[in-house]
Amino acid sequence: MRATQESALAEMRRWGYRYVITPTLESLDVLALGLDAGELRRLFKLTDADGSLLALVGERTIPVARLVAGRLRAAPLPLRLCYAGPVLTTDSGRFTRRREAYQVGAELIGASGPVADAEVIAMAVRCLDAAGLRQYQVDVGHSEFFQGLLDGIALPADLKPGVKAALARRDFVALEALLDETPLRSAEHELLLRFPALRGGPEILDAGGKLVRNRRSERALSELARVHELLGAHGLGQAVALDLGAIRDFDYYTGVIFEGYGPDVGRPLAQGGRYDALLARFGREAPATGFMIHLDRTGELMRRTTEGPELTWLDAAIAWTSSGLEDAIRLAASLRMFGMRAVVDTQPRSLAAALAWREAVGARHLLHLAGSGRAAWAAADRGVRRLPTDRVVEQLATLPRAVGGVPGEAGGGGL
Amino acid sequence: MISIAIPTGVLLEGSLDLLRRAGAADLDQEEIGRKLLVEKNSLRVVLVKPADVPAYVDHGSADLGFAGKDQLWESPGGHYELLDLGFGGCRLIVAVREASPLNGPETWPPTLRVGTKYARATSEYMAGLGQPVEIVRLHGSVELAPLVGLVDAVVDLTQTGRTLRENRLRVVAEVGHSTARLIANQASLKTRTLSVQQLVTRIREAL
Repeated sequence: MRATQESALAEMRRWGYRYVITPTLESLDVLALGLDAGELRRLFKLTDADGSLLALVGERTIPVARLVAGRLRAAPLPLRLCYAGPVLTTDSGRFTRRREAYQVGAELIGASGPVADAEVIAMAVRCLDAAGLRQYQVDVGHSEFFQGLLDGIALPADLKPGVKAALARRDFVALEALLDETPLRSAEHELLLRFPALRGGPEILDAGGKLVRNRRSERALSELARVHELLGAHGLGQAVALDLGAIRDFDYYTGVIFEGYGPDVGRPLAQGGRYDALLARFGREAPATGFMIHLDRTGELMRRTTEGPELTWLDAAIAWTSSGLEDAIRLAASLRMFGMRAVVDTQPRSLAAALAWREAVGARHLLHLAGSGRAAWAAADRGVRRLPTDRVVEQLATLPRAVGGVPGEAGGGGL
Repeated sequence: MISIAIPTGVLLEGSLDLLRRAGAADLDQEEIGRKLLVEKNSLRVVLVKPADVPAYVDHGSADLGFAGKDQLWESPGGHYELLDLGFGGCRLIVAVREASPLNGPETWPPTLRVGTKYARATSEYMAGLGQPVEIVRLHGSVELAPLVGLVDAVVDLTQTGRTLRENRLRVVAEVGHSTARLIANQASLKTRTLSVQQLVTRIREAL
């Protein structure tokens, strides 16, 4: 999970996004500006010494918005920011009792239009790529397409909340029952009922365009077409599908929305979209778009798809006997100066015992120092060689480095 | 290969019948009952407890599932509810002892004590009425609870009303009407669109 986070943040930096640290504990009033009643209810809350209410953040876009409208208010827009950290919810979900999840995300604030939308989507995909995911898919939709449809079908005012609620629950049985009550039936009705099926390549935009008769939906379609073209330029034609039936948080998202999926994970790995209304609530009007990656889900997928733990995450395990300890410490310091990962044993060991110890700590090379000015060197795939201690560094520095993250992360169980 | 979770119990026969009519899989009850997991014509059918169908689908272990609406009330989740399959019709009702002074909601006490397996649907319904309620979670033989004075009323499913009559209970209110539904995992609709949509269409046409 850490490895996924690090690789995603490194990718974001390559796109020019600056890392910001936002608080995990926020004033409830601040969070209330961006959350709906249900989301507010699911926050862990506590009382401050002066009686005001605080809450642990359930997502990290709102704290970033506050930062941009507050401490960074003098910074010129657009701002490209990224973050990582825990989020908490009282809703323990069905599958786990864990209430803490980890997210890494990015926000592009102060830029509107398809160019910014495509940048954020492409970066999200590259982050999944950088995390090592080889199979993924991004679904791109537009929240205004649905809003336009709702306008278009002249829904009686008393049915509107029910229709929205049914769609939010993805309950198409209830939706059909509600739409049956509306007096007029149009092509747009049918479109609403076929919602989950309105998905595919650019041809779906033409199909949708023939059926909608309202400006809002038409504008959404033309924006989606442009984003799709730009994603082609970003080199992502294959992984992108257009999904006119994408429905998420209608009151929050104001434009292009997207979700990233991996193989055999029942839930999205990444989610994002345009939220042009949020910043104004903090007193600095600005269009914005962004996304976040669910690190827990992505990490779980990576664990399932990589074979066993990464055994050689250390470059060098340095063992010693009798008077070899000081040589060992000096050698480790030199290797670290060359950027290698090195561990010095805490107790003396014979060469035979050291070979077993190397396996246990998972190192590419074993160096055994006995104080004679010479080192025994065993690489993973070769026998033991002896060479002068001062030549070890130059030998190792030219070889490929260990890869992999923290031990235990890749295999889940520890080494 | 796509997979569908179907429930044991009263919905099993209707589920197998529908899969057969949709041309998806021809399975007899005994075969699936013995094996729990059968793969045929690149469709994997898994047999699970009715209350577990939403869990299998929400987690993506099954792309699709047949589930009673009564189970969906208890497990709202990330799934799409696509079709009303029409079979397995029953009502979720509020029932009291025949001799009870209670009738419709206006006669209920300031706090009603209710026994049920459907805690979530019950509390939502009672909250909608503005009726304070104390819920006793039961797991079986719900009819017994009012007879021995454990609760004022029960909220339970009934198809014909026979079990209620046999236990000298009478219906005083209806919470909802349930039928079998087709549910789908949200990611399956995106990552396996074509094969999932094809099966959904065949099921829709077989209704």
